[in-house]
Amino acid sequence: MNSKLSFLTKTSLLKRIKSKWFIGVNILLLVIIVGIINIDSIISYFGGDFSDKLEIVVIDKTNSVYDIFKNNINNSKNIIGNDTSIDIKKTTKSEKSLEKNLKDKVLIIFTSSDTEYLKAKVISKEKIDTIKYQLITSSLSTTKYNYGLINSNINIEELNKISSEIKIDRVVLNKDKPSSDDNMNTIMGSVFPTIILPFFMLVIFLVQMIGSEIYEEKSSRSMEIIISNVSPKTHFISKIISSNLFAIIQGLLLIGYGALGLLLKNSIDTSKTSEITSMISSIWTTLSNNGFIDKLYYIIPLTLILLLLSFFAYSLVAGILASMTVNMEDYQQIQTPIMLVSVLAYYLAIMASVFNGAIFIKVLSYVPFISCLLSPALLVIGQVNIIDVVISIAILIVFNIFIFKHGINIYKEGILNYSNEKVWTKFKKIIRNKN
Amino acid sequence: MLKVEGIRKTYQDVVAVDNLTFNVADGEIFGLLGENGAGKTTTFRMIMGLLEADKGSILLDNKKIDYSVTDKIGFVTEERSLLTKLTVKEQILYYGALKGMNERDILKKLDYWLDRFEIKEYENKKIKELSKGNQQKIQFISAIINNPKLLILDEPFTGLDPINVKMLKDAVYDLKKKGTSIIFSSHQMEYIEEFCEKLVILVKGKSILEGYLEDIKNSYGIKKILLNVLDYDIEKLSKIKGVNSINKKNDYYEVNIDNESAIDLIFKEIKKYKVLKFDAVKKTLSDIFIEKVGGYHE
Repeated sequence: MNSKLSFLTKTSLLKRIKSKWFIGVNILLLVIIVGIINIDSIISYFGGDFSDKLEIVVIDKTNSVYDIFKNNINNSKNIIGNDTSIDIKKTTKSEKSLEKNLKDKVLIIFTSSDTEYLKAKVISKEKIDTIKYQLITSSLSTTKYNYGLINSNINIEELNKISSEIKIDRVVLNKDKPSSDDNMNTIMGSVFPTIILPFFMLVIFLVQMIGSEIYEEKSSRSMEIIISNVSPKTHFISKIISSNLFAIIQGLLLIGYGALGLLLKNSIDTSKTSEITSMISSIWTTLSNNGFIDKLYYIIPLTLILLLLSFFAYSLVAGILASMTVNMEDYQQIQTPIMLVSVLAYYLAIMASVFNGAIFIKVLSYVPFISCLLSPALLVIGQVNIIDVVISIAILIVFNIFIFKHGINIYKEGILNYSNEKVWTKFKKIIRNKN
Repeated sequence: MLKVEGIRKTYQDVVAVDNLTFNVADGEIFGLLGENGAGKTTTFRMIMGLLEADKGSILLDNKKIDYSVTDKIGFVTEERSLLTKLTVKEQILYYGALKGMNERDILKKLDYWLDRFEIKEYENKKIKELSKGNQQKIQFISAIINNPKLLILDEPFTGLDPINVKMLKDAVYDLKKKGTSIIFSSHQMEYIEEFCEKLVILVKGKSILEGYLEDIKNSYGIKKILLNVLDYDIEKLSKIKGVNSINKKNDYYEVNIDNESAIDLIFKEIKKYKVLKFDAVKKTLSDIFIEKVGGYHE
């Protein structure tokens, strides 16, 4: 019987992997993932320009602040990103003549003031981009500060002491309560949805694969021939194993496509390497400061266990429900609730930080199908601890055993049931008969 | 040898099969007849081990049918049970492997049967691209690829033209000669009459008639006499006791009788004339089926 199980599993898996659908979807995924990672290079290739320029023309009526301002604005350049170049020039032309031919340039006029040391007038043809304007105002304020120090008799050392940031000695007395901070929440809001999106996709692939295979075998009546040679249990297990292997293979391929995209990005433009490294380094520093990196040794295995067990749970339920389908409409019907639950799990996970550790969300993190995404999300931001995740895993194991034990009877009846009753009616009848 | 002993199967309150008993010897073709919903499919499913009987037993060569025995059974279902996206070769390899055969044996036998059924060129074609008749041939091959000990044929000739029907019939006779027990089910009574030595007729899951076909037909006796007599007024026969009606056909008369004693009386009456045709015709299986099953509807 084991040889028939491995034969069925192998056949089912190869059939799916060799299918035009799989090849087509993967070519599309490869193109999309590699394309998104290298979108800047693609746009540049087709004539788009990512480099930005800020051109400033300065009329310095004080004859002493231009160099200070130029120095300040170059030091604050990181506000608008390294892709923007700043071109700053001093001019002796009149304000009116410059206004006529200003185009994209920004004109800054410095004048001295008896009461406020320094005044500035900023002229542009269109409204200046918020971030660029923030850079300009920040540099102007610093310039005024420097100019004021030079032209007043204030003791610089004393002033620096007054204006420096206050030193805070932060102490949190409740050590047990998990901590989270704004940076972690930012990471949860941007990085985490990207990480869990493939899992969400894999659940959809998994449900579709097991459902379509069982539906196809049943609707073609070949199920009767198959089941007369192998037990429904062996058949069901083969479907579960092959669909889960398929999901794992697809997951590894997605990781591969991501890696290929990054490699391609580095090979196309080596200047981007430092950018990616710096971005990863920044995220890593934030995670490290929050003690997240130290927790990875248990977060990663726990998350993987949860994901694998959830794959099993999704495939068990999808397989049992698919066994009762006799037409395409039924098949669509059974997918809907499963998809809705996975969508719910996805949104709860990306919004995890919003719930601020509420009991309700903690309870939901124990619920099978939802726990796979929500529980690791809450663990990462520190709203649940390792014990909670272990409870989620235990519940999922018990759930899978329960579903398999009882579901196999429904499956056995369902695959030979060709009545045109609604899926849920058939489902209820079979359960009633079994009882 | 297949032994079916007192099997019963119910679905909730509906009795699908009730106390059904029959045997199919090695090399015997057995007919299972019944209207739609009479319990034939349930019986087949129980024989195939797909359903468990509530009562009774089913033994193949004195062994209870389970997954260690089903490798020896072949099944041609009423509706085509083929994975139409597969090629002919892939399909047969798939079903053959499920029967526990190795790839080499499957391909060797496939080669033989494709050749015999004159469809060798379709080996690598997808099943959905084949005609209905050729699909039926593939289904037949998939059921016999393992040289089954027991072969169940549920409407095996559906969609086939007379030439292809003959091809499949010859294959069935060959299997019979090799000792395969065959259960045959069809609504086309002429096939049953031609094939089956023994049969059972089911009505609402119960056997209402069973035995050897010849015995059954003999027990129902002669139904009509086909006559062609020169220079004789055939209407005179209507006065003979036991003659029901006389119908004119193309070149003969059909004299329907309800009593076999009428045969002698008719013969005595016409023997003085020149008799060109005198055929005493037994009731057909179709007549018997309608008579027996029809009675249960009244």
